[in-house]
Amino acid sequence: MISTLGRYSRMTLLMMKNCLIREMQFRSNFVIRLFTEVIWLGMQIVYVAVLYGVTQTIGGWNVWQMVMLLGTNHILTQLFEAFFFDNCTKLVDQIRLGDLDFILIKPVNPQFLVSLRYTDYASMTNSLVGFAMIGYAIHRLGIAITPLEAFLFLLLIVNGILILYAMTFCLSVLTFWIGRASNLFELYYQLTQFTRYPGEIYRWGLRIALLTVIPMLVVSNFPVKMLLGGLFNAWLGYACAIGLIFFAATVWIWNLGLRRYRSASS
Amino acid sequence: MIEFFLKGTPAWKYWVILSTRTQEDMAYRFNYVFGVVFRFLPLVTTIYLWYAVFHSPGYDGTQRMGGMSFSDMVSYYAIMFVARGFSSIPGMNRDISVDIKDGLLNRYLIKPMSYFWYQTMYRLAHKLVFWFVALFTFPPIFYLIRQYLQHTPTLLEWAAFFVSLMIAFWIGILFNFMIGTLAFWFLEISTFLFVIMVMEFFLSGHLLPLNLLPHGILSWAQWMPFGYEGYWPCMILIGKVPPDQMGKVIGVGLLWVAFFFLTGKWMWARGVKRYSAVGG
Repeated sequence: MISTLGRYSRMTLLMMKNCLIREMQFRSNFVIRLFTEVIWLGMQIVYVAVLYGVTQTIGGWNVWQMVMLLGTNHILTQLFEAFFFDNCTKLVDQIRLGDLDFILIKPVNPQFLVSLRYTDYASMTNSLVGFAMIGYAIHRLGIAITPLEAFLFLLLIVNGILILYAMTFCLSVLTFWIGRASNLFELYYQLTQFTRYPGEIYRWGLRIALLTVIPMLVVSNFPVKMLLGGLFNAWLGYACAIGLIFFAATVWIWNLGLRRYRSASS
Repeated sequence: MIEFFLKGTPAWKYWVILSTRTQEDMAYRFNYVFGVVFRFLPLVTTIYLWYAVFHSPGYDGTQRMGGMSFSDMVSYYAIMFVARGFSSIPGMNRDISVDIKDGLLNRYLIKPMSYFWYQTMYRLAHKLVFWFVALFTFPPIFYLIRQYLQHTPTLLEWAAFFVSLMIAFWIGILFNFMIGTLAFWFLEISTFLFVIMVMEFFLSGHLLPLNLLPHGILSWAQWMPFGYEGYWPCMILIGKVPPDQMGKVIGVGLLWVAFFFLTGKWMWARGVKRYSAVGG
């Protein structure tokens, strides 16, 4: 068990190192990626600024709490894109064109390899902007954060990334059944819309859906609530349970899909 | 019938391009269905978000913001999907810049056809399939939000709306063509293209109605060409453009179309002379 864990950690680090070497060959591209993501974030900040220009609170959230949510959302999406998103999109072509063969013949868990093969360092660096936004908002709100809260915040972030990974990975794995469907990823982009705003603005039916079957509120709202001191322990346990269930679902669907793999291009 | 009218005329070859590309895209129509349906999800969050704003402390849902009621706001965002369905031409400027940069333009230049019209037919084919799919997917969605569509447009507004959609399409095509040809002068323009895309997204009023912006910005932003890619068609159909203003709004739009048509033509003529026909 321990040796297996060690082997997989070493492999992860090795893959990350290879990607870093590759990334450093295209340094200007790295800077451009940082720049473009910051512009995109800037536009969201303008949107929030206009909204809070006409009102004081939205769904009970004031402007700095909203900035915290925006920052948290930025960390989540950037770290998810850093580790998993490229891998999930590449998986579609690997399945369709039969390139998955080269993964399957290797003596490692194939899901591990296809999920973590590529790391995107620009997105990883970019997530720091989100931390800065949260830090500034905490300063403006004048609240104190205990080390435990900070730790649990990070735990919920990891949990959120796991849920985003599970949903996107399952979309990719659908390729085993339906072949080419690049627009399915549109669903990922559109679902992350729900992580941007406070859950309080939705009616109960939709809010329950966003807490259970499409747990986008667990992904983004829970970490912020943790920092604001409004998350009960029961919710914390619930969040982790959702994360584990979603992860288990990926393993199940992946193995189901593999049985349909034809190793041929279409 | 079209064969009877067009065969032998210069327009025939462009018709062939259009119909071939349309048939090709139709093969992937279910991929389009996903694209069209999923794109409406943001409308759900937008409706809830603005509902919360219009019902936040100090408001009771009946106030107006930037002259717009809550119903106007929802109608605006819904009609935006129609307007952007005409004006957004994804990937066109990038494809053109890559053709120029990598020397792929050669294979078009040696053919007896205009590259501009080839690109236009190619994009038009995409739009035709998009609208074919939208014919089935848009009506149910507009039916679901019918309670918010409170303004009944006048005949003038309908007419101006259709003209504004044509303006939206041509500004989309001509502006992106012009931007793409910048690659004749600058080798690497992908960052610039991204900045343009963000500007287009924001200044077209896609993100939020332009009339919510501070007055100083609004007064020039609304006369920029991007406003015609979303803001104006929406404002016309929700009845926010008074009849005496209609001529000015449409007129300025047509001027922009003419401007981009001439500028694009001029840049293309200058650019092709500089073109080195090699990859890089």
